[in-house]
Amino acid sequence: MNTDLVIKDLHVNVEDKEILKGLNLTVKPGTIHAIMGPNGSGKSTLAYTLMGHPSYTVTGGEVWYKDQNVLELEADERSKLGLFLAFQYPVAIPGVTVANFLRSALNAHRAEQGKDAKSTSIPVAQFRKELRGNMAALEIDDSFVRRYLNEGFSGGEKKRIEILQMAMLKPSMAIMDETDSGLDIDALRIVSEGVNTLYGQQPEMGVLVITHYQRLLNYIKPHVVSVLMDGRVVREGGAELALELEERGYDFIREEVLSNASK
Amino acid sequence: MPASNTLTLTILADLTDAQIAEAARAAGEPEWMIERREVAWRFFSESLPPIWKRTDLSKFQSENIAVPLGPQGTLVQWDAKLAEQGVIYTTLAAALRDHEALVKQYIGTAIDPLGHKFNALHAALWQDGIFLYVPKNVAVELPLQAIFTLADGSHSTFPHNLIIAERGASVTFVEEFASLDSEQQILASPATEIFVGDNAKVRFVSAQTWGKGVYHIGAQRARLGRDGAIEWIGLNLGGQVQHIEAEATLEGNGSRVDWVAATFADGTQSLLTAPMVRHIGTNAESHLNFKTVVDDSGYSTFDGMVKIDHSGQGTNSRLEEHAIHLSSASRSDSIPGLQIDANDVKAGHASTSGQIEEEQLFYMLSRGIKREEAIHMIVTGFFEPVLDRIPLEDLRERAAVLVEAKI
Repeated sequence: MNTDLVIKDLHVNVEDKEILKGLNLTVKPGTIHAIMGPNGSGKSTLAYTLMGHPSYTVTGGEVWYKDQNVLELEADERSKLGLFLAFQYPVAIPGVTVANFLRSALNAHRAEQGKDAKSTSIPVAQFRKELRGNMAALEIDDSFVRRYLNEGFSGGEKKRIEILQMAMLKPSMAIMDETDSGLDIDALRIVSEGVNTLYGQQPEMGVLVITHYQRLLNYIKPHVVSVLMDGRVVREGGAELALELEERGYDFIREEVLSNASK
Repeated sequence: MPASNTLTLTILADLTDAQIAEAARAAGEPEWMIERREVAWRFFSESLPPIWKRTDLSKFQSENIAVPLGPQGTLVQWDAKLAEQGVIYTTLAAALRDHEALVKQYIGTAIDPLGHKFNALHAALWQDGIFLYVPKNVAVELPLQAIFTLADGSHSTFPHNLIIAERGASVTFVEEFASLDSEQQILASPATEIFVGDNAKVRFVSAQTWGKGVYHIGAQRARLGRDGAIEWIGLNLGGQVQHIEAEATLEGNGSRVDWVAATFADGTQSLLTAPMVRHIGTNAESHLNFKTVVDDSGYSTFDGMVKIDHSGQGTNSRLEEHAIHLSSASRSDSIPGLQIDANDVKAGHASTSGQIEEEQLFYMLSRGIKREEAIHMIVTGFFEPVLDRIPLEDLRERAAVLVEAKI
């Protein structure tokens, strides 16, 4: 089984406008892979497309993971395959508590065809223990268990709850869409530690960290950095590429790309 | 409760005021009540049906309806110790015998018996229902519940509930209307009058969970004294056609209504609720939050009105209604009204209507939850803030099961 996430020549439209224009990318298991790019380069489009958001229309290319044609799968099937998206803007689900939501999600993952849902569902005591443990690590107050998911949560609280979901579902390939946006330094530290802890526990996990700024990468150290510009990956390097971008901005790459194109 | 059940059934079309009077006399009702019934019956017979644009009664064959006359044996269960504190909880028929002066003082003073044809029909034919009286400064902790269903063989029911909380009293009253599905058309026309005294608190739960075939034409009104408060929880789930006119009249200064409702119309159901809040006293507050789900060819109407009289200075009012459509053939109408005749008021309104947001579904799907289950969770969650307020666990669970079955 090929456990690389392989994206080949991906073209994606949003409302008839082409955003991704032949994107190629391979994310290896056990790798923290940062995608950096200026606003409008297609970073969030990539994240949503990988997870199967219905507003993003794939007009060409392929995505493969664990020998599955990902683009043919519904979002819930992608989740069960091991993909996870930490949303930039998590959605509120009024009336559904954090605990109920997580239990439903976990049980959906544990469900097996032909087996009674009760026989595969997570035992209550085990669920509580895991939930409390992960919440404590992410410094989330106990009261959140009974609160409606993301309803009235601050930006920082929402991001922590995203990481909580990630810690509970234990994906093999996590995509983090601008998780650093809107976070203060404390929240950034807690969220990053959460990701690092999970990565430490399951070192075979791939993490695709999508970010505009280098700041997050001080906390979550990438092995590979890819630069996205105008819907394509235009540069790939190690952690030092992120630092160079921080120092010089995106313009120098844009100029390189333009001069290469004109050659 | 009379030892011998005097229930008789007559077809509505054949009924006369003489028969109504005879049944009332046999039940030992006082003359003034008998006279009121006769007046109401004549009003019913002579008046045209009200013009309701959104309540379709064209398929209703009223002439075939079998009407019960005489007491029907409303079952009353409660902690008799409350009687030591002066609380009265009995059938309205019994109260008419044992507490005639109290009944006479209140009955028909919240809901006009001659308001329209159906009010009059109810006033002519009401049997039983609950009489609840809580004296000054008495707090009744446990909810008092009344379940109304149909007498054997009858195709109609007309319970009348009279709830009186004196100054500083507090009480919870839960009325539920339930039946099995019926091939035959059924007419349910209940009325509930609630009197919230100065500084009194009433929590009122009204659950309409009729089986198929029931036409529910209901009237409810609460009148509130100074600093009186009512928490009002409506559940509209059953029946074929529902038309409920309800009003909270904030007469006393500083009085308050906190009103929530959950309505779910599926199949070919048509469920209308017309809540009205009238601000008369100063600094009164009203908060309304109505939730509606429609599926299949279901149709629901929210016909709400907040009316602030010129005396209602310092009013604080907020009206919200939200509707989710689960099918393309389902419909919901929302007609919020706001009429302000005072100048120092705060009045807000918010309304949403549409399908489940694709963003919510995608978020849940992205966690591995199947689409169908996600829809279930969103709809249940949508109603949760309403169901969560039901103080009786068995009713709360029953309502949750009914909602689940409809999704």
